[in-house]
Amino acid sequence: MTDILIIGAGLSGLMTAYTAAKAGQKTHVIAKGLGALHWTAGTVDLFGYPPGARTAPIRRPLDYIADTLTKEQPESPYALLGADRIAAALDAFQALAAEIGLAYYGAATPGDNLLLPTAAGAARPTYLAPAAQIGGDLARKDPMLIVGFDGLSDFYPRLVADNLARQGQPARAAVLPMALLTDRIDSNTLQQAAGMDDAQRRAKLIGALQQIVKPGERIGLPPILGLQQHATAFQEVQAQMGATVFEIPLLPPSVPGTRLFTALREHLRAMGVSVDAGMEVINAHSTPGAGSTPGHVAWVESATSTPRPYRHTAQRFVLATGGILGAGFNSDQHGRLWEVVFNLPLSVPQQRSQWFRPAFFNPEGHPVFAGGVRVNRALQPVDEAGGLLYENLWVVGDALANDDSILQRSLEGTAIATGVVAGQALALAWEGSLHAH
Amino acid sequence: MHTESWLSAGTTLDECIKCNICTSYCPVAAVTDLFPGPKYVGPQAQRFRENGQIEMPDHAVDYCSGCRVCNEVCPTGVRISEINARARAQIVAKKGIPFRNRILARNATIARMGMIVPSLANFVMHNAFFRGIGEKVMKVAAKAPMPYWSTQGTFTDWMRHTAPRRLKSDKKVVYFHGCATESYEPYVGKAAVLVLEHNGYEVIVPPQGCCGLPLLSNGEFGTARKWHDDNLARLAGFARAGFPIVGTSTSCILTLQEEAPELLDIHSEPQQALGAATYDIFEWLRELHAKDELKTDFKPLKMVMPYHQPCQYRAHNIGAPSADIMGLIPDLDLRNGHLRCCGIAGTYGYKTEKYDIAMAVGEELFRYVKSQGSDVQMTACDSETCRWQLEHGTDLPSRHPIEIVATAYGLYDLEKRRELGM
Repeated sequence: MTDILIIGAGLSGLMTAYTAAKAGQKTHVIAKGLGALHWTAGTVDLFGYPPGARTAPIRRPLDYIADTLTKEQPESPYALLGADRIAAALDAFQALAAEIGLAYYGAATPGDNLLLPTAAGAARPTYLAPAAQIGGDLARKDPMLIVGFDGLSDFYPRLVADNLARQGQPARAAVLPMALLTDRIDSNTLQQAAGMDDAQRRAKLIGALQQIVKPGERIGLPPILGLQQHATAFQEVQAQMGATVFEIPLLPPSVPGTRLFTALREHLRAMGVSVDAGMEVINAHSTPGAGSTPGHVAWVESATSTPRPYRHTAQRFVLATGGILGAGFNSDQHGRLWEVVFNLPLSVPQQRSQWFRPAFFNPEGHPVFAGGVRVNRALQPVDEAGGLLYENLWVVGDALANDDSILQRSLEGTAIATGVVAGQALALAWEGSLHAH
Repeated sequence: MHTESWLSAGTTLDECIKCNICTSYCPVAAVTDLFPGPKYVGPQAQRFRENGQIEMPDHAVDYCSGCRVCNEVCPTGVRISEINARARAQIVAKKGIPFRNRILARNATIARMGMIVPSLANFVMHNAFFRGIGEKVMKVAAKAPMPYWSTQGTFTDWMRHTAPRRLKSDKKVVYFHGCATESYEPYVGKAAVLVLEHNGYEVIVPPQGCCGLPLLSNGEFGTARKWHDDNLARLAGFARAGFPIVGTSTSCILTLQEEAPELLDIHSEPQQALGAATYDIFEWLRELHAKDELKTDFKPLKMVMPYHQPCQYRAHNIGAPSADIMGLIPDLDLRNGHLRCCGIAGTYGYKTEKYDIAMAVGEELFRYVKSQGSDVQMTACDSETCRWQLEHGTDLPSRHPIEIVATAYGLYDLEKRRELGM
């Protein structure tokens, strides 16, 4: 029998699974499809911008969380967890990432946000970045050579270099033939990255880069430095160039995000945790709470090729389905917005006219994106009065209330922190039940 | 003009957020430029298709193998594979079906014809000269892995001959054997019967025809409908009477349950009953096990066994029941590489223009099997054409998991593929 069933295969679900499985829990992850990580840049955004003021990015996000956020937004997931638990969770992620061959690093000054270049040449705050992105750190001032490939859509090296130069980062652009990456007529970055798994192709790319790079320049590339063999490909290119080499992430399908997902799933499988896609939960069976006694989730069922749903029974359940941008919530034209698995109450205005503020890029964000499932400090869902709804249900990631992760640039930080803390809480609940018997 | 409604495909179409996860995981797009990817020929091109349209927006959709990996990974639930199947049918309805595809889609008929003189059929089908002609004239790849017709009669022959010693019981289960078990691999059916009887069930094998999947995947929906209706008429009565209908061919079962009704817009009461009563045999055995009713007197089977769960089996969305049951066998070192597809995809890999693509798709699976060490004597896989492709790509024999379970029960010779003690 499964101890823990996790619904959702994004970063929060996978980190919960990892933490719980490591603590000896029999864990299973099911998901409607694969998402989240494949859409993002593969970095760990912890906290980029304070709400309401779209000016300078936050320099030290953990300090900001400890000193400001916990006071100003005590209901936000970070405030519920506290800076210490968040820092410990990030350490756990970094250790795991290194173990699975995808080392992540922070800024040269510990605790600072990194500023990394985007494909538009803007500076983007993030807290941890994969080894292959860290070299783009804009705190360094050594000049950049931004290299594109002829015909690669979504990556225009002149645009990147010109915009960076305007912001005081010396940069110039160059374009190499696409044939260095792939023989395909039409390809996406994942296929180009897979091309760089091949040592002979890498040698050709290195030869071409050596022709155009000037001494002292660091080299910025689209995310093409290998897929299955990424660590090897990156280290080899950087070593042979004798220069800093870095990738700039692009639109989905995201190469750095896919690398992280693939490595995490393989690691979980090796730990005995299945991560099954194609399993959309369509029913949940629970006994509701009464008075001060919380309810109990008995099982959920996912859709199959027959009218017979597939039943998943477990001791404890974790909702990691994402918020309104994931698949966790649905809405109708009347302004109703609901959580799709357990129909948990949402802190979203139930009137459509109140979902949005005027102006798409409103610096205050939009109420509909900040809404979600309210939880207690243990990340268990609660009602408006703070009463526990189900004794064996936890909620992690972007489904949580009081958190506009896109506005704040906090998507992965929330996923990792809540995933690790919930995973630990699940293991503790298990120990608690052992003592009880 | 296609005559089917686009309803089920159309309602999920608008859920596409263009994230390209389907294209990232598509095993065909990964190896050829001829298929741009599910998003492009599916939800994207679908915007330009409608009833009565004179020109189709693209023909690359014919390179979709129908493996349904796109459906599996899509985060928003778009039925991409069904959109593609309908688009192909639309092209076939307008341009007609190529003669070669017409023949391949009728593999049930070929299977029956070969059984008239199986040794002659085997000689022709495995003779380089005739295969060369087949490739030139018919565009059927000369190297593609053809099965051997059974020289010991069909599966239903065996059921007839052994009728006196077949188990009679109050507990009954209906077996859908599919064309491949009937004519090529009767031993798979025998293994299934042995396992079911060992668990105390009498096995009923009603008259049955091809599920129609090869017709559906070659875009010939009209004939598929007729064949499916025939099966529906023969099986719905059993379903209504409460008999479970189990099958060893994962794609035939999926067709009876979902693919045919979905693509052919059949939502009748008999179809509902059939869908609810039909099981992959291991899904059903797993339910027995959950009720503590599965016999677990398995003998140890000390083997390293690379296992491939076919894409059409994963599309049942029930996890990996055969791996779950094989996991109960002591000493069996089952290794699931979780690879996307073997490449053959039913009739796809038999087509000259698609053979190389199918082999390139299967390469990661073949490599995985070869990387499991020299102790590996055979592989396990639930689907017939996938087993033939696996054997072709690895030079190792491949077995249906039901043969492995029958062996662990001490009823079956896994190497010689025959029941023990007969």
